[in-house]
Amino acid sequence: MSGEAFELATGIASLAELAASDLEPYDAVYLGSPYCDRYAGNLLERPGDLAEAVRRLADLGKRAYVTTYAAPRHRQVDALRRALAAGAAAGAVAAEVHGAGLARIVRDECPGLAVHLGTFAHVYTPAALEALRAFGVVRIAPPAELPLDEMVALGAVAPVEVTLHGKVPLGVSESCVLLGCEAEWGVGCPDLCRRDVFVERDEWVLKSVGTGVLTGRDVCLLEAVPRILADGHRRFRIETLSESPEYRARVGRVYREALGRALADDWTIDAGWWAALRAHSRAGFCNGFAFGRSGLEYVGAGAGAGGLRG
Amino acid sequence: MAVLLAPGGSPEAVAAAFDAGADAVYVGLRGWSRGGARGELTWPELAAAARRARGHRGELQVALNTIPRPAEQALLQAAVPRLLDLGVRALIVNDLGLLATLGRAHPPLRVTASIGCGAQMPADVAALAELGAAAVVLPATLGPEEAAACVAAAPIAVEIMVHMVEEFVLLGRCVMPAYLQLRPTPLPDAEPGARRQSGSMKRGGVGACFKICQQPWTLRDRHGARAERTFPARQLSRLADVPGYLAAGVQVLKLQGRSLPADAVRPLVARYRRALDAAAAGRAVDAGPPPRLPEAWTVVGR
Repeated sequence: MSGEAFELATGIASLAELAASDLEPYDAVYLGSPYCDRYAGNLLERPGDLAEAVRRLADLGKRAYVTTYAAPRHRQVDALRRALAAGAAAGAVAAEVHGAGLARIVRDECPGLAVHLGTFAHVYTPAALEALRAFGVVRIAPPAELPLDEMVALGAVAPVEVTLHGKVPLGVSESCVLLGCEAEWGVGCPDLCRRDVFVERDEWVLKSVGTGVLTGRDVCLLEAVPRILADGHRRFRIETLSESPEYRARVGRVYREALGRALADDWTIDAGWWAALRAHSRAGFCNGFAFGRSGLEYVGAGAGAGGLRG
Repeated sequence: MAVLLAPGGSPEAVAAAFDAGADAVYVGLRGWSRGGARGELTWPELAAAARRARGHRGELQVALNTIPRPAEQALLQAAVPRLLDLGVRALIVNDLGLLATLGRAHPPLRVTASIGCGAQMPADVAALAELGAAAVVLPATLGPEEAAACVAAAPIAVEIMVHMVEEFVLLGRCVMPAYLQLRPTPLPDAEPGARRQSGSMKRGGVGACFKICQQPWTLRDRHGARAERTFPARQLSRLADVPGYLAAGVQVLKLQGRSLPADAVRPLVARYRRALDAAAAGRAVDAGPPPRLPEAWTVVGR
């Protein structure tokens, strides 16, 4: 990150999705889907595609990170080894891991890859992060529910990657809730989880990616950008794994502009930003976790930003 | 000889577990364990449980498996010497920071990486051992073959939670309750009125869980297709695999359920006691239907 004021990253699961994406707002991309080895075109199962994706990112001047499965089983480790090796050989600079086991594997077997600790590792405390530095962890994406004031404490140990926008994961499973819908919908795996499936009960809305449950509302920390920068954070993510290329580009552009303006001490929120974010949000915004509240709440002045459904 | 480790969410359940043949019982310290107050013991109850364990020549283990916030760290750390004074020598934790530091700070302690630490494969076991775990709890979704690979990964005790509810989200990793609704809970051993401000069960807060994953939800895609579903969940009983786990070198067979009443703990423990004894003696394990707890039961016991 030398020379950059900040880094804005996102996630892309497949080569096809990479090809369809305008990555101009981003500095780095996490490659692969951490949710399911059956995800169509998952770069974690296609070392050749992964290497090609890394090369394409390099051509664009972007950094490539390789993610890994959120809750891997032993039978998946060899595939991950192949992915990590292919990514490293092609020039990827880091691996994102979601547990101590894979962190140890990357440390021992992929010395050229830095270790980023992902959100599914559920590391909340500075002491835990300090302990994981033994495995080469140099960055952490905290769990979704960690408030901003606790992220400061983590940041004293290692850089924190703050998710500024997007539907964030609330849990991961070894089962797919969508597989039972094949007969009813006439659609099978791997197409089920790409149909933008929302999960509703009364006023609550979640999003399903099959084995993962996401917030139904988009986490939105636009109004908190100055505070987050003042806290010292400089690594950010827009969560777009299950989103369209249009979402990825437009939302990324909003935050790129917002971060730039805040760092230039010229902070005002452009009405066009809200319009762009709302145009890409089905169920409204939330950010309660960041402020120690229920996750689906919205804290801030953004008019109508909370939306009607959670 | 493998150990049968049973849950004790109340003084009555602790008694029932030891009476039914548990070698060890794990309890939650009020305010510091996942699942909330319904499955936790107060300090006097814990002291009594420790006496009962000694009377049975068994072991009492204590779950300190919430993940403390910065303001809670000192309070939690202050609990440890009190536990040692009661004769407790085994703690179960979810936070890798506690895993790495408690054993060094208090050498008599054995610290177990809770199932919430997410270990599912040999590399996880090796990593947690490197961080200081004396034992690691693995879910019943791992059969004897996978368990054997985990046993071989590091010279620490491997525990299998042989009877458990496999809820949709991996155990210890769900923040759905904290997303949907929070109810601040009292902060233990703190000033009166101090509340935990937020957080999932993992942080000691209790969201409006009420088995939300087991309520009917409507799945709707962008094309208008819809379906009614609950998130899949099932009770897992590995009774028939007890011999296989013993052969694999698993040292502890653990039963989930600090929210279970005593009259449910007793037969569950007795059933696994018979299985463990039979397997250890080379006899066939009872081939009857696996023990099944009430359908409405979950680890939180709402």
